[in-house]
Amino acid sequence: MNSFWNGKRRFVALLMFLAGVFVALEVPPVIPFIQLPGEKFPEGFDIPLTGIRWTNTMVGSVIVWVVLLLFVVYVARRRPKDGNEVPPGGFYYLFEVLFEGLMGFVGGIAGGRHFRVIFNMFMTIFLVVLMANWMELVPGVDTIGFIHPHVKEKYDAQKDEYKLVTTDGYEIYQGFLGISYVNGQCDWISPAAEAAADEAAIVAASAAAAAAERTLTQDAAYARYQAEHKGHGDDATGEGGGGHGDDAHGEEPLESNTVSLASAEVLAARVAEKQARLDRGCHTGVATAPWQDGYEPYDKSKAKGISLHPDPSSEEAKLVPWVVLPFVRVPSTDLNMTLTIALISFVMIQYIGFKALGIGYLTKFFNFGTLFKSPLGGIDVAVGLLELIGDFAKILSFSFRLLGNIFAGSILLFVMSFLIPILPWPFFILEFFVGVIQALVFALLTAIFMNLATISHHHDDDHDHDEAH
Amino acid sequence: MDPQSTIILGKAIGAGLAMIGAAGGGIGIGLAVGGAVQAMGRNPDHTPTIQTNMILGVAFAEAVAIYALVVSLIILFVLS
Repeated sequence: MNSFWNGKRRFVALLMFLAGVFVALEVPPVIPFIQLPGEKFPEGFDIPLTGIRWTNTMVGSVIVWVVLLLFVVYVARRRPKDGNEVPPGGFYYLFEVLFEGLMGFVGGIAGGRHFRVIFNMFMTIFLVVLMANWMELVPGVDTIGFIHPHVKEKYDAQKDEYKLVTTDGYEIYQGFLGISYVNGQCDWISPAAEAAADEAAIVAASAAAAAAERTLTQDAAYARYQAEHKGHGDDATGEGGGGHGDDAHGEEPLESNTVSLASAEVLAARVAEKQARLDRGCHTGVATAPWQDGYEPYDKSKAKGISLHPDPSSEEAKLVPWVVLPFVRVPSTDLNMTLTIALISFVMIQYIGFKALGIGYLTKFFNFGTLFKSPLGGIDVAVGLLELIGDFAKILSFSFRLLGNIFAGSILLFVMSFLIPILPWPFFILEFFVGVIQALVFALLTAIFMNLATISHHHDDDHDHDEAH
Repeated sequence: MDPQSTIILGKAIGAGLAMIGAAGGGIGIGLAVGGAVQAMGRNPDHTPTIQTNMILGVAFAEAVAIYALVVSLIILFVLS
């Protein structure tokens, strides 16, 4: 027994197991909210200099790029300047092994005139996708974030009371182990906050009305003053003052209904804001404003006894579904990232095709050369068009393959951590390999398609490939 | 039954049906890897070439299953 525990640090595994048991008992695992698009951060977390809110997948991709750039700097600094120098050991060797191994691998597939371009593309895509995929194994990713209750109160006409529902309008029911889950898509606004915003709109509207009225009065006063001034001081002040007044207020006098227009504008903006929220699919708050017909005011007396922002440690907090909006999410679970890399890959495939074959590359898609020469020319045309469609389908299959695999993988990790909170490790090992394989497949398919694009139909450049081997 | 539960029911059944498509991908991957392993066993010298082609084939077969997965994910999480 002693030799079993000595030296191998197996006690760490035991400690983790025990910690898992205690944590699972103390804090019941929360079933995660599963959302396909990247979740938006709460208000106030904008990307500097743009109006765009951060999403957690965006944070993930920034981290991926920063880490990759650090690796690049590290490798460039450690790399021996002189070819005969023995490279420094340690972490640097990992990159040597990776690059040499993959160089041989890609050389076997796409060795030839365009090897350098293809290998650069292969390695870039491989490293970026690998880093992104492995992020799901990092503790804290997908689990640490803003936590907030995700409920609103909805008026139930049958029972004449407000009941708690999720912001999607679903009833909150106690699911497996008494836990329910909801989404982080809409910013939660309490009915009280809605009412306050309505009040603010009314105040702003009356302020705007007052301001408009003041402008009108001032204009009238000024016009009166000007008339007096003109009548009085023809000889005393000369042309200067009179001319100035004409320039500033030469327009027609304002209409008296400007006052009501100004306040209506403010109120309409508030209604439009509410409507925009509804159009986005966020059914929080009260849909109508107090100055509209059919307004249902929020009646606190009919509300259930559950506070919407309960103390997390209290008993009533267990009745409210809580949602974690993670700070960082795996970037490859966002279609934006996978689609971007797929588009880059697609562009590079076409680029290298044109570079290798010139304008003749287009005959791959529009092959009318043999239409009247051979009896089977029509088939060539159809094959070319199919290739054209197939090329665009590559974008779709590239992006969805990566997205689907990694998204499914992170859901698997979520659900397994929820079902067996003490022993989800085997699935982490599985996801480790899935991450490598998906990165490899993405990069490899790009390399293969790029290589295919450089080969013409007429097998003109077969000698290139013979040279390479 | 209230409309909200009907929607959940329909979503769940639809997502489940969509995932039947994954069976095709599974069969395809099984056939591809089986063939590749046999080929590698007979002919170990050509392992790198066979492996590359196998990964390619597996990726293509898997793509079909992934489409099914994406459809079911869209049914579950995007449709409302």
